[in-house]
Amino acid sequence: MTDAVLRVSGATKNFGGVRALHNASLTLYAGEIHALLGENGAGKSTLLKTLAGVHRLDAGEIILDGKKFHEGSTRLAREQGVAVIYQEPNLFPDLTLAENVFAGRQKVNGKIVDWVGMQTEAQTLFDQLGVPLNPRSRARGLSIADQQIVEIAKALSLNAKVIVMDEPTAALSSKEVERLFNVARALAKRGAAVVFVSHRLDEVFELTDRLTVMRDGATVGTGITLDTTEADVIHLMVGREVSELFPKGFHPIGDVVLSVKNLAHDGLFENISFDVRAGEIVALAGLVGSGRSEIARAIFGVEKYSHGTITMLGKELAAGSPSKAMAVGIALVPEDRRLQGLFMAASIAKNSSVTILNRIKKGFLVRSKDEAEIAKTWGETLELKYADINDPVERLSGGNQQKVVLAKWLASQPALLIVDEPTRGIDVGTKAQVHKLLSDEAGKGLAVLMISSELPEVLGMADRILVMREGLMVKEFSRAEATSANVIAAATGAVTV
Amino acid sequence: MNRFLTRLVSVREIPVLLALFIVLVVTGIANPQFVSASGAQDIFLGVAVIATLSVGMTFVITMRHIDLSVGSTAGFTAYMIGKMSAHHHGLVTSLLVALGIGLIVGAANGFLVAYLRLPSLVVTLASLWIVRGVFDQIAGGDTVTDNQVPVALGYLGRHSFANIPYIFIIAFVLILVASFFMRSVRPARDLYAMGSNPPASELAGIPVARRTFFAFLASGAVSGLGGAILLARFHSADSNSGLGLELNVIAACVVGGVAIAGGVGTPYGALIGALLLQSITQALGALGVSQFWQLAVNGTLLISAISLDRYLTLRVKPTRILRVKS
Repeated sequence: MTDAVLRVSGATKNFGGVRALHNASLTLYAGEIHALLGENGAGKSTLLKTLAGVHRLDAGEIILDGKKFHEGSTRLAREQGVAVIYQEPNLFPDLTLAENVFAGRQKVNGKIVDWVGMQTEAQTLFDQLGVPLNPRSRARGLSIADQQIVEIAKALSLNAKVIVMDEPTAALSSKEVERLFNVARALAKRGAAVVFVSHRLDEVFELTDRLTVMRDGATVGTGITLDTTEADVIHLMVGREVSELFPKGFHPIGDVVLSVKNLAHDGLFENISFDVRAGEIVALAGLVGSGRSEIARAIFGVEKYSHGTITMLGKELAAGSPSKAMAVGIALVPEDRRLQGLFMAASIAKNSSVTILNRIKKGFLVRSKDEAEIAKTWGETLELKYADINDPVERLSGGNQQKVVLAKWLASQPALLIVDEPTRGIDVGTKAQVHKLLSDEAGKGLAVLMISSELPEVLGMADRILVMREGLMVKEFSRAEATSANVIAAATGAVTV
Repeated sequence: MNRFLTRLVSVREIPVLLALFIVLVVTGIANPQFVSASGAQDIFLGVAVIATLSVGMTFVITMRHIDLSVGSTAGFTAYMIGKMSAHHHGLVTSLLVALGIGLIVGAANGFLVAYLRLPSLVVTLASLWIVRGVFDQIAGGDTVTDNQVPVALGYLGRHSFANIPYIFIIAFVLILVASFFMRSVRPARDLYAMGSNPPASELAGIPVARRTFFAFLASGAVSGLGGAILLARFHSADSNSGLGLELNVIAACVVGGVAIAGGVGTPYGALIGALLLQSITQALGALGVSQFWQLAVNGTLLISAISLDRYLTLRVKPTRILRVKS
C-alpha cells in the first residue's frame, strides 16, 4: 500500500469531565476498507464526528492527504474530502434525489440553478453505483438502504477521499447489505479509504481489509482483518473474554400466555397463528420488512388488523388499544427506542416509572421520590450507568437507553414481553446483559416474543423460531432444528443454501 | 386512485387551481354577472395586498417559520406613506421610508429568530404588537384621507390595464419574480432544504442562520412596500389598517400549497390560494350568503387544504409487504 490518506495521532477530547478520546490513533490507506470497532462509549463516535467536522480535538493531530486537517466545520470537512454516511441518513424528504445529492452546493449556470445538470450527474452516479433510483423523484418514502445510496452518491460527487459509514447495516435486510458491500468495494477500488463501523462482526470479517479497535477513548489494537479472529476482536473490545454472548438457560415451559389465531391485515400479513408460553422465548425471524414488527404492533394494539383473534391468558383481547393490551400484561419494547421507546428529554426516573403511574400514585398525585425509587431499583438490576437519576435519558449511551426502555416495561410486571430488535446498535457487553436479563425473566415465567434480525441472537436465545417471509409465516423451527443455514433459507426463500 | 391522478394531486397547486375553476363556473352559472369583467376586477383588487405579502410569507413558511408581523408593518407604512405625502414629501422618499421600516422590523425578527434561536411564532407575535403599538402612538385617531394619498398610488389603485387593476399586475409581477427566484436561485433553494430537514441542512453546510435572517428581512421589506399597495387599494389609512391581515396571508399560503411544516410550496401557489379564498368570499356574496358563512367556508377550506397535505405525506409510505397474494 501507498502512503496513508489519513493519519490521526494523539487524539484527545474531553466533554466536561468525561474523557471521550484519549490518545487515539487511526491510519487509513487509499483503496482499503477499514473496520472501526469498539463498544458504545469507546470513542468511535467522537472520533468520527471530529472527522465529520462536528467536534474539535483538545489535543492531537489529523493529517489528511499530507496536509493538516481543518477541524470544526462540517462544510470544510466535506471540502477536504471526508464524507460521513450515517446509520439513518438525513435526507431532505421534500427535495428531489438530485437536489439531495447536491444539497447546499447546487450546480449553477451563472446564478441560476442548473436542474438538468444536477439530474444528469445524479443519474450517472446512481448508474455507477448500480442502483435504479430516479433523480427526479422526491426522497420522501425512500427505504433506508436507498437513502444511504443517495448519501454515497453525494460522497462520490464530492470525490471524497475518506468515506465513513457509521453502522450502515443496522437497519438493512441481507439483500441490501449485499448491495451496500458491493458499493463499498467499488468505492475502495476507485481509491477511496472506506471506514466501516459495525457491531456485526461477521460483516466486518466479510468486508474489511484492516481493522482498528478502540476502548475507553484509546486505540487498543489495529491489524489486518485476515490475521485476526472474532475472539481477538471481542477480547480487545471488552478487555475481557465474553464466553457466552447468547446465554438462554433451560427453564421449564409453562402454560400458553399468548395465542394468535389466523391474524391478517390487508397487504401486511396473513394467516398468522402461533402461541407463546410462560418461560418461553419465541423468535420472529425474517428479513427487515417481512411483516414482523407489524404483527408485534398489532398484538400490542398500536395497529389494527382485519382478521383473526389474539387471546391473552385465555381471554380474547380487543383490537387497537395499547392501554387494554397493557392491562392484560403485554409490554412492547419497540424497535426505535429514540422515537418510540423513550421520552428523550424526560428524566431516567420519569421514563422508568411511566408504565406504572397508576400503581405508584398517592391519591391523584405522583411523587418524584417514588418515581426515582423505582428507577433506582431497576437501574441496579440492569447495571444502568448514569450520573443522576433525574438526568434526561438523551444523555445516556444507546445501550443504557435500551436498559431504561426494558426497565420501564419490566416494572409493569408483564406476562408477555415483546421485544423488537432488543440489541440493535448496542455494544457487545450490554448486549450480553440484555440477553442474560431476558433469559432470567423467562426463567421467572415471563413469556417473551423476540423480533431480531441478528441470526446468532435468534439461534442463541430462542426456544422456538418462527420465520416470516413477505407477510407469511413460512416455517417453524425448534431450538434443536434451527441452524443459520435453514433459517436464512426459509427467510429468503432460497431453494438451496 | 390511479398513478396519474396521484401525481396530479401531488403537484400541490393543481387541486387548488381546479377548486378555483369550479367555484368560478358554479357561481357563474348561478349568477352570470359574477363572471363579468367587473366581477373579475373585484377579485383581483381583493387579492392584490394579500398576494404581495404572501411573497415574503412563502419564504418564511418554507423554512418552517412564521411571520405574524406583516399586517402591522404594512398598515403602519401605508399610514406613513400617506402622512409623508400630506407633508409634501416625494413618493420616492416615502417609499424609501416604508422600505426602511420594513427592513428594521424584518431585521429585528430575523436577528432574534436566526441568531438568538427564539421561536418565530413568539418573536413575530411580539413584533406584531410592538409595531401596532408604535403605529397607534403615532397615528392616534388620525386618518390618511383620499386626498392625502400620493397621486401615483391613487391612480394605480383605481385604474386598470385591460380590466386588470394595476396593483394586481404589480403583485403578479412580484409573484412571478419570486417564483423564479425560489425555483432557480441557490439561497432560495436552501430555504426548502432548511424547512424539509433542519438538522440536516446544518450538516449539509447550509448557512442556516444567515438564510433565516435574510428571509425574515425579505418578508419585512415586502411588507414595508406592501403598505403602498394597501394604501393604493383602500385610498385611506388609519391605525386599524392591516389589522389581522397576516392571518389572511397565512391562509392564502396554506390553501395554495405552502406547507406549514416547511419544505414545499411556491409563491404562485400562494397567489392561487389567495384567488380561491377571495373568489369564494365574493361568490358567496354574489349568491346572497351572509358574511358569517363566508368566514366559516374559508375555515373549512383551510382544513381541507391541510387534510389534503396530510393525506399526501402519509400515502407515500410504502406499506405493502405481502407479495404472494393480495
